[in-house]
Amino acid sequence: MISLREVTLIYPNGTRALDGIDLEIAKGSFVFLVGHSGTGKSSLLRLLYREQRPSKGSVIVDGVQIDKLKRSKVPELRRKVGVVFQDFKLLPDKTVWENVAFALQVTGARTRDVMRQVPRVLDLVGMAHKSRVFPSELSGGEQQRAAIARALVNNPKILLCDEPTGNLDPVNTNEVVDLLHRINLKGTTVLVATHNALMVDRMRRRVIRLERGKVLADDERGLYHRVESEIQPEGEDLAFAARVRNGLGQDPIFSE
Amino acid sequence: MPREYVMDWGKIRFFLSEVWRNFTRNVVMQITSIGTVTVMILLLGTLLFVQHTLGRVGSEQIAKIEISAFMSDKASPADAKRIVAALKADPRVRSALYVPKAEGLRQMRDRLKGQIDTSLLTSNPLPDAIRVRVVDPNQVHAVAALLRKMPQVANVEYQRDFVERLVRLVDVMTKVGIAFILLLIVTSAIIISNTIRLTVYARRREIAIMQLVGASATYIRLPFICEGFLAGVLGAAIAVLLLTFGRWQIWPKVTSALPFLPLRESGADFGLFALQLLLIGAIVGIGAAWISVGRYLRA
Repeated sequence: MISLREVTLIYPNGTRALDGIDLEIAKGSFVFLVGHSGTGKSSLLRLLYREQRPSKGSVIVDGVQIDKLKRSKVPELRRKVGVVFQDFKLLPDKTVWENVAFALQVTGARTRDVMRQVPRVLDLVGMAHKSRVFPSELSGGEQQRAAIARALVNNPKILLCDEPTGNLDPVNTNEVVDLLHRINLKGTTVLVATHNALMVDRMRRRVIRLERGKVLADDERGLYHRVESEIQPEGEDLAFAARVRNGLGQDPIFSE
Repeated sequence: MPREYVMDWGKIRFFLSEVWRNFTRNVVMQITSIGTVTVMILLLGTLLFVQHTLGRVGSEQIAKIEISAFMSDKASPADAKRIVAALKADPRVRSALYVPKAEGLRQMRDRLKGQIDTSLLTSNPLPDAIRVRVVDPNQVHAVAALLRKMPQVANVEYQRDFVERLVRLVDVMTKVGIAFILLLIVTSAIIISNTIRLTVYARRREIAIMQLVGASATYIRLPFICEGFLAGVLGAAIAVLLLTFGRWQIWPKVTSALPFLPLRESGADFGLFALQLLLIGAIVGIGAAWISVGRYLRA
């Protein structure tokens, strides 16, 4: 679904945001991107919806090499890729319903489709009862769920989330994590850049750790802090890690 | 995706509400935009109208340029008729007509009827005259000189100077006017484009979201183009209304103030003229919008 080959991104000011990244992300997978601030997580996401072009290397999304994509073809890509941000980016003068419908309307969707699709996604994110409410009257979690609804309303194959829980308290974080999980179960590939250890550790999904623009580690069922390889665990540590993992596996929401 | 091309009421309503939202976002700037277009079109319209009218007067006058040879008091009607016969034999002369002074007065009364009260004239001040038209306006000088040499002829007049001056006036006026109007077109384009840039700025969040969710560049541009179109056409429409008013209220006063200038209305083509002015307003508006939105979206 997503493939990066020797991708390097150098900003005009000389900052090397990404440095020779090679990645393959399978269709339907759920992937966390972790790492300190400024390690290139957001830059990597921006490459995937062609907000940014790599300085070197190629980016392939859903079989299309998007670094070579003509400007006129970018909208087509954006309809296949939903994006969610830390600051939600909802339009303040539109209601939840209008915000979500906007994404369909401006891509030329038929009114019939708008009327069918908007209630469907609002229902999915649990915001149907707040559809007539303006963003300023919503909690952070509700705003993020509305933003996710907007990202999903075009039926994208990929959902990119840049710090989706960065502005949320733990309760709202859990709601959003739960929602992303359900979206992923419906077949959407989900890629989440985050600092939220709680979220990563509860999900136990693939974790790609970036540092200074390089992939430092890529674990199939990783944790936010790399227990296994980083600390070079021996005996007791390994046993502890196993206990932690088992404990998490018993989580009623996230165990599969 | 083919869904772009399916139109329905909801889509049209949504689109129009977007355009209206843009248009009313900054009312003061919008009024400025419309106002400059109005001034621009008003001046353009006036210039074209006056130029057209005077130009036509000029060409009409050139076509029927006429030499009037006024006979001296001593010359008899027989002398005059002899001269007419001689002129008619000249290949350069198209027509020559003897006009006795009584006839001359009657013609003058007809021409000035309702403009000047000729009944105050108690005696006939006009001499007998011969009116000559030449085949080619360039031969006017030569024929006039020939007449002037004749002892029976007291005075020779023809409108050449007047016509030439009129043509020159129209020419200069056109050049100055065009320069002025070009300046105004640029000014109004800049003002419209600035207004639209303000709208674009006010709507930058919406635009960012549109780009993010995959709206086409055309779709993003269209409401702004419509905004420019509206400003241009509204400005031009106000100007056309003012011009129409001027044509009915002011033009008759001008023509009656200048009774000797044979000014007449162009009449039937005023509708077409108005349409052209509206079109110019629309083009300026759309062009300005296109430039300012294009620049923003490319960035």
